[in-house]
Amino acid sequence: MRYLLLLSVLLVPACERRTTDRTLVFWCSNNAGEIAFAKEFTEQWQRRRPDKPLRFQPIPEGQSSEEIILASVVGKTTPDIYANLWQGNVEMYARAKVLVPLDTLKGFLDFIRTRCDSSMIREITSTDGHIYQVPWKVNPIMTLCNPRALAARRAPQPPYTYSEYLKAGAQFRFDRNHDGYTDQWLGYTEVKPIWYQRLFNFYPLYLAASNGAPLIADNRAAFNNRYAVEVFRFLQELYRKDYFARERLSATRDPFLARRIATQFTGPWTIGFLEKFKDPGFEYETYPMPVPDDHRGPVYTYGDPKNIVIFNTCPDPQAAWEFVRTLIDRPGDLRLMELTGQFPRRQGLNSDPYFAGFLRKNPRLVPFARQAQYIRGVDNCEVIVEVFDIISQEYQACVLYDRKTPEEAVRDAARAVDVLLGN
Amino acid sequence: MRKDKWIPYGLVAPYILHFAVFVAFPVVFSVVLTFHRWNIISPMEFIGLDNYVRLFKDRLFWQAIYNTLRFLVVHIPLQIVVALALAELLNRTVRGASFFRAAFFLPVIVSGVVVTILWQQLLGYNLGLLNRLLTAVSLPRVAWLDDPDIAMYSIAVMATWKNVGLYVILFLVGLQTVPAQYYEAADLEGATDWQKFRYITLPMINPTIFTVVVLSTIGGFSLFIEPYIMTEGGPLNSTLSAVMYIYQQAFQYYHMGYSATLGFFFALLILGVVMLQRRYIEQEN
Repeated sequence: MRYLLLLSVLLVPACERRTTDRTLVFWCSNNAGEIAFAKEFTEQWQRRRPDKPLRFQPIPEGQSSEEIILASVVGKTTPDIYANLWQGNVEMYARAKVLVPLDTLKGFLDFIRTRCDSSMIREITSTDGHIYQVPWKVNPIMTLCNPRALAARRAPQPPYTYSEYLKAGAQFRFDRNHDGYTDQWLGYTEVKPIWYQRLFNFYPLYLAASNGAPLIADNRAAFNNRYAVEVFRFLQELYRKDYFARERLSATRDPFLARRIATQFTGPWTIGFLEKFKDPGFEYETYPMPVPDDHRGPVYTYGDPKNIVIFNTCPDPQAAWEFVRTLIDRPGDLRLMELTGQFPRRQGLNSDPYFAGFLRKNPRLVPFARQAQYIRGVDNCEVIVEVFDIISQEYQACVLYDRKTPEEAVRDAARAVDVLLGN
Repeated sequence: MRKDKWIPYGLVAPYILHFAVFVAFPVVFSVVLTFHRWNIISPMEFIGLDNYVRLFKDRLFWQAIYNTLRFLVVHIPLQIVVALALAELLNRTVRGASFFRAAFFLPVIVSGVVVTILWQQLLGYNLGLLNRLLTAVSLPRVAWLDDPDIAMYSIAVMATWKNVGLYVILFLVGLQTVPAQYYEAADLEGATDWQKFRYITLPMINPTIFTVVVLSTIGGFSLFIEPYIMTEGGPLNSTLSAVMYIYQQAFQYYHMGYSATLGFFFALLILGVVMLQRRYIEQEN
């Protein structure tokens, strides 16, 4: 691993420019949809602004894009613009002073206020008061259900509160081959202890229960509350009663398509997969995350946001911003949806007539578009990965192995996070 | 004459350069790092002995050391017993000996990742072959990789299966160096098979045993791929090995200084254990 990183540091300059010319370099993701998107907008820019040359390049291959970006920062070979940075990494780079504070660029604040609501702007504002990231695209985590399978077992149908979901679990759990072991569960969510898996189970449930409350506020753990405890208890019950599978099912045929589970927490990327591989007649629907029984108001979730940044090696940040702006105005956002099937992070997406045609043509994506109005990213915290790791440790102890009560697990996690944050 | 004097230096220069860049510099740099806080992208900050103080208070690091020792306690004896038994069998005149030699060695040359994924499938709770066999004979399933009390031992068995072929070959070489006259003399004295093994074979292959113990200790201390792929250190950190923890600190959290401190301490620990082993085996001799 260490050698890979070193190799990346050595190789990244080889595939990078940095000659004396002032051509701006834009790194995009290396999937086909985003490459097509980047190509189209780069060509448009070149036609419109020949005085500000710009070229795009898919991010070099590596174990992960985070690793490549880190290697390029270390090697001082960063692109000028990078689209696809996980929001949780921005604060670390901002503190290292390798990002351009975008709010210092002409026209940025005016534009961003038309695209984002005030809570979104608060979320992307760094601890030093500057904004270093442009909210770009999201993949809201929601509950996918197989209504026919649920009906066949007379299980309650979604949308779910915790008690309805647990009732559905009791009805749906089944020992198909009568060997004394459950082999049909209500749901499955990854049980690996790695921190980022909590972004797809604990965290969206916590946001749903708490109406989008933060984990970290004023440099302290803010999750030692009834919402986190309820989420831990809810998940603990699902595993304790065998409504969720404890074993990793990822190495088998997709359990949702194989009807071994009836629900899953996932994002819009699953839709393409399901449409491609589903059996004829297989039906599924999309709903918000389960919430506590007394929940009121909209149901928030984790949006898995990926944002755009400009690195401080950029020779012309103002021109770079002008280009970024073309990616995220309304035509840019529409093309993003058309070419990649992903959602722009902009207010009013679901009600804006400009996007209505696309959503009419893609009805499977409509619930995600609606949900995109009620999403959160992660808190701006330099050690957010460690925060999730601490939560993940307690999640294992409480939810999966029943070694702690939800109250103890949440309290211990909050204490550990406070120590981590120097309190 | 003067020119000739520089030729030896010129000949060793490539190695010296390689050694300086890829060995000496990283070692010295790692030692320097142990006194700093550094996340790769921000400037290094000198923090004196803070990393060492943290190391001694770090509960998870000591658990990782304990886990690694738990692995070694099962892995090393199992490795030696199985390898020696197989080598003894192969040392006799058996049909298809060369086939078995190749078969035992095969897992050694197969990629560790492939072997690990294969065993993950074998040991799965609901769908694993082993549990299916248990269920078929009406025995209860075992959570081979999901029970914190069992998972590390499952990994130790798997690692033994993967590496035993190499040690079989080493033992086989050792066994073939034992002079046949010793066994003939023992036969004339009426020694049993066990007595021949205990009083002739074992003392004669002691240097091989020492080599195997040292190699498996060092190999066992560097346990990484198996828990990284099979369990990611879980359940409840019961398979988190020391090397995996060092890796996490460096490449998950970018605590380069602390990670270097852990690595430095761990290297000293391995050195200490190997020295103790050597001393013990020399005393036995």
